[in-house]
Amino acid sequence: MIRVRNVSKSFNDQLVLNDVSLDIKSEEIFVVLGESGAGKSVLLKHLIGLLQPDSGTIQIDNEDITHLPESKLLKMRKKMGYLFQEGALYDFMTVFENIAFPLREHAHLDEKTIRQKVKDILKMIDLDEVEEKMPAQLSGGMKKRVALARAMILDSKILFCDEPTSGLDPIRSRDVSDLIRNVSRKFGCTTVITSHDIRNSFRVADRLALIHDGKIIAMGTQDELKASKDAFVKEFIS
Amino acid sequence: MAVYQQVVRSLGNALWFLGEIFGNILRGKIRFGEVLKQVYEQGLQSVVIVVLTSLASGLVLALQGYVAMSRFGAKEFVADLVALSLVRELGPVFTALVFSGKAGARITAELGTMNVNDQILATRTLGVDPMEFLVVPRMVACFLVLPILTIISEFCGIMGGYFVGVTQAHIAGVYYINETIRAIHYVDFFSGFIKVFFFAILIGWICCYEGFSTKGGSLGVGKYTTKAVAYSYIFVILLNTLLTKVILTFWG
Ligand SMILES: Nc1ncnc2c1ncn2[C@@H]1O[C@H](COP(=O)(O)OP(=O)(O)O)[C@@H](O)[C@H]1O
Ligand SMILES: [Mg+2]
Repeated sequence: MIRVRNVSKSFNDQLVLNDVSLDIKSEEIFVVLGESGAGKSVLLKHLIGLLQPDSGTIQIDNEDITHLPESKLLKMRKKMGYLFQEGALYDFMTVFENIAFPLREHAHLDEKTIRQKVKDILKMIDLDEVEEKMPAQLSGGMKKRVALARAMILDSKILFCDEPTSGLDPIRSRDVSDLIRNVSRKFGCTTVITSHDIRNSFRVADRLALIHDGKIIAMGTQDELKASKDAFVKEFIS
Repeated sequence: MAVYQQVVRSLGNALWFLGEIFGNILRGKIRFGEVLKQVYEQGLQSVVIVVLTSLASGLVLALQGYVAMSRFGAKEFVADLVALSLVRELGPVFTALVFSGKAGARITAELGTMNVNDQILATRTLGVDPMEFLVVPRMVACFLVLPILTIISEFCGIMGGYFVGVTQAHIAGVYYINETIRAIHYVDFFSGFIKVFFFAILIGWICCYEGFSTKGGSLGVGKYTTKAVAYSYIFVILLNTLLTKVILTFWG
């Protein structure tokens, strides 16, 4: 359960989030839609404490994270996964080391168990024979899959995905979207995705919100959005 | 006014950054495996060029010194001249400059690339403090590697001087070495060597900080890397002047 209340954020003199409020229910897949530059990434970074709002509050599972110090946030983030737009894999580590990294940091398992866990999750994301490759040797779609595996390896309860389909061709976009949905359901995690890819968003989302000029201008299920009378909403989703 | 404020803010951020590094070190958050990797990379990368520059400067010092001192009939003092210049000034300063250009540039470029690719933010989302994981090992490695490189550099410089002394000035080898040892003993090796630890902190600090501040894609990485090297040069030279004054005042 993620509760955002009246969050505003400016950079220099530019108001990027303007009084944003939303509730994301446990285990639902929630998509934040918007044009590029609308403030989607900024909103997502607030939800995991990478940015702090100028005003307003953010609660996760009834805990107020708005002003937690970084040391507390680091602990909280063990049960969260964050998929960056370009994957953000460590380029000096192999795929295996990347996925094993959170396990080595937080789980205190023996080497054999780590190997097995990495193998299992690679199978779940439909990749094999890549363990010893470096991220630079992977295609864009594969990088995102590996990054998803790294984000989920600690059995995260909350998953954030920043534009998971951007930069991919239509088929890879659909595959990655379906994969996120499957993984999210399998782990039973609350998932927040940002996107400007309407078609795939409608495929995977339980509910959606549309953000424009830093404000949420529509929120609801796919059908509710489609029924909207607002001119911008109509234009955006058509 | 705006420029002045910006300078104050950057300086504040940089000092806070240094405080974070020392905070981690004092709390024992040093990852020895990572330190070892960095020591290996920084050391290996710089050692060849350090050997070359110091050999060359030893040679040149001895050649120039021999010509000048022959005029006063004091060519035997070439050994003292070489040893004294190297151990007190040239060894630490040259090594620090070469180290900035090689290892320092590498640090900024690596951290900068990680920064623009979101790898540093990703570290935080994985519940790991990037200071502890990425910065502290590089800083500690600087502190270990630069002193070792300086000793190598001074040794090679003296070897360069020895070569000129023996082949050109026809000083007896044993005499040259004894004179060198006497000179180093006299000027106190440590009065020069102690500077190296300050340079190591300075270079590690500047280069890690610039890497962490990098923005603007691959262009930004280039920009911040050259900036880090330029700052390292300038501040090594300034700090050296200050330290020399202080050391000569209190140590003689
Ligand atoms: N760290 C930052 N500093 C200054 N401006 C920023 C920062 N992050 C984002 N912005 C600005 O906020 C706006 C929204 O950015 P973002 O959330 O990345 O958009 P998007 O919806 O495409 O993800 C953009 O105009 C961007 O320039
Ligand atoms: Mg974005």
